[in-house]
Amino acid sequence: MSTLALTAYVLVWPVIATLVLIVLCVALYRDMRAARREGTELV
Amino acid sequence: MFQLSTTTVILLMLAFYGLTFLMSLRIGKKKESVDGYMVSNNTIGFGMSAASMTATWIWAASFYAAASSGYKYGLSGALHYGLWGALMILFIYPFGKRFRQLAPKAHTLGEIMHARHGRSSQMILAGSNILGSGISLMVNFTAAGALVDVLSPLSFIHGVLIAGVGVLSYTLWSGFRSSVLTDFGQLMAMILAAVIIIPMIFFQLGGPGLFAEGMPRLTGEQGDFFSRTAALEQGAPFFVAVLAYAIGNQTIAQRLFAVREDLIKPTFITATIGYASIVIGLGMLGFLALLAGVQPLEGDLNNLIPQMAATYLPPFAIGLFFIMVIGSLSSTADSDLSALSAIVMTDVYGKNLARGKPDPTLMLWIGRLTMVVATAVGVIFASMKLDILTMLIFVGALWGAIVFPVIASLFWDRVTNKAFTGAVIAAFAMFLVARFELLPMQGAVGTLFELCAAIGGGVVIGLMSFGFFGRTTGCVLGLLTAVVFAPFAVGFLRDYPVLLSSLTAYGVSTLVCVGLSLSARKRFDFDSIGERVVAFQTH
Repeated sequence: MSTLALTAYVLVWPVIATLVLIVLCVALYRDMRAARREGTELV
Repeated sequence: MFQLSTTTVILLMLAFYGLTFLMSLRIGKKKESVDGYMVSNNTIGFGMSAASMTATWIWAASFYAAASSGYKYGLSGALHYGLWGALMILFIYPFGKRFRQLAPKAHTLGEIMHARHGRSSQMILAGSNILGSGISLMVNFTAAGALVDVLSPLSFIHGVLIAGVGVLSYTLWSGFRSSVLTDFGQLMAMILAAVIIIPMIFFQLGGPGLFAEGMPRLTGEQGDFFSRTAALEQGAPFFVAVLAYAIGNQTIAQRLFAVREDLIKPTFITATIGYASIVIGLGMLGFLALLAGVQPLEGDLNNLIPQMAATYLPPFAIGLFFIMVIGSLSSTADSDLSALSAIVMTDVYGKNLARGKPDPTLMLWIGRLTMVVATAVGVIFASMKLDILTMLIFVGALWGAIVFPVIASLFWDRVTNKAFTGAVIAAFAMFLVARFELLPMQGAVGTLFELCAAIGGGVVIGLMSFGFFGRTTGCVLGLLTAVVFAPFAVGFLRDYPVLLSSLTAYGVSTLVCVGLSLSARKRFDFDSIGERVVAFQTH
């Protein structure tokens, strides 16, 4: 494997984790808005 | 090695558990419902449920074990831990959908088995989960003690006590609802820490230049992305073990019963990706340590991650690392407390002591008392620093023995209580013989076990294919795998006792379960499960 491929292999995981973080935060924001609109609880 | 001061560690832990406690106060009710205490409202949204599933699946040992695997097996090591662990979350999804379809108001897996078969099957699941969650609780408290011991002047027991009291304080009143809510915050902290720490250590070690310098240090197997040693010694046994863990585990089942039914799929897919990215990413630290020629302190691979953090990170990042590990162990420990309380409330009190007519108020207090007792026991056992490996092996095997009987019971109407119980007992007994070599694994005995294990390999592939592609594909691929695997297994698997014993448990449980079920003529009406498994409180 080339140095570039090895670097990508090590650093791709934090990038994916960041994307997951964004997805979860957006989803939580939507859940909170929906709960407020419907007068229900989050959990 | 750098250490945080006593004041800093106490402030960090107070801030972490204080904030978590404040979060839990926001949802606290004077009168909690028993169903809410165990599975919330069965309609939790995507963001909260995906975060909770991810946080629960990641425990403190995930970081240490993934890094150890990266250090020991090199290039593919972290993948052989994190990828299989992640895929198992995905694997539960089709079966989880079936559990929800059959019993939308379930609280525990044992409760479903009670409705399907009766008491002995229920108690096998309840007992294995009490043992499993008890051990998990102890492991997580132990991890807190070890972390505090390594990174601060405080002692091991201080860490254990603070974690025990901290986790209990925010979980006790609202149970599972607190666990899910706080999981979100804990996962955010974990991800943020991982995202900062991984690149920081990579560039501290020299960045891309590390590869040119470090690759010659690796053995041929360590430098091979398709390493056979890594696959056979780490990947395959772990794959088989986590499959069992995923299916039999109450902490995962509880979240499955809690999420809104139409969100099960995206929840499980997101949790799979989230788990893989965090655990494999941190496992890469082990690979980097190998490239840099780092020697683990006292030769203990569990020291690798704290050692890397303390050596290559600035103080503020060590604080982040500290919070990451405390977050991971707390999110799993609160899930274990919630699982234990749900099992005692439902399987012990609700279905047995109260004979299906429980008093909700008493039931709730039984759940809370269970949490207090479980925490006390967890703290006491953690402080004794027992060797937990043997106990974990027992639980792993017990769960390996129940995977096929549990799944078959919920899809095949001919499986009986006798078939379920007989299959689990036979498989567990055969596992013990193979794992501890109670008989010499040679000649005809060795061959017999290897053939059972080959069938077990077929069962694993068959079940996975069945979940995603249906019965025909599952049966064909399972049979094909067993037939192709058998000639390779004979004379070979006896050198890998962990893999041999785990696969034997799968193979024997399937053979006995199928054999006894085929000899029975009774058919079961699956619709009756939903009628028997209902909410304990309607208001």
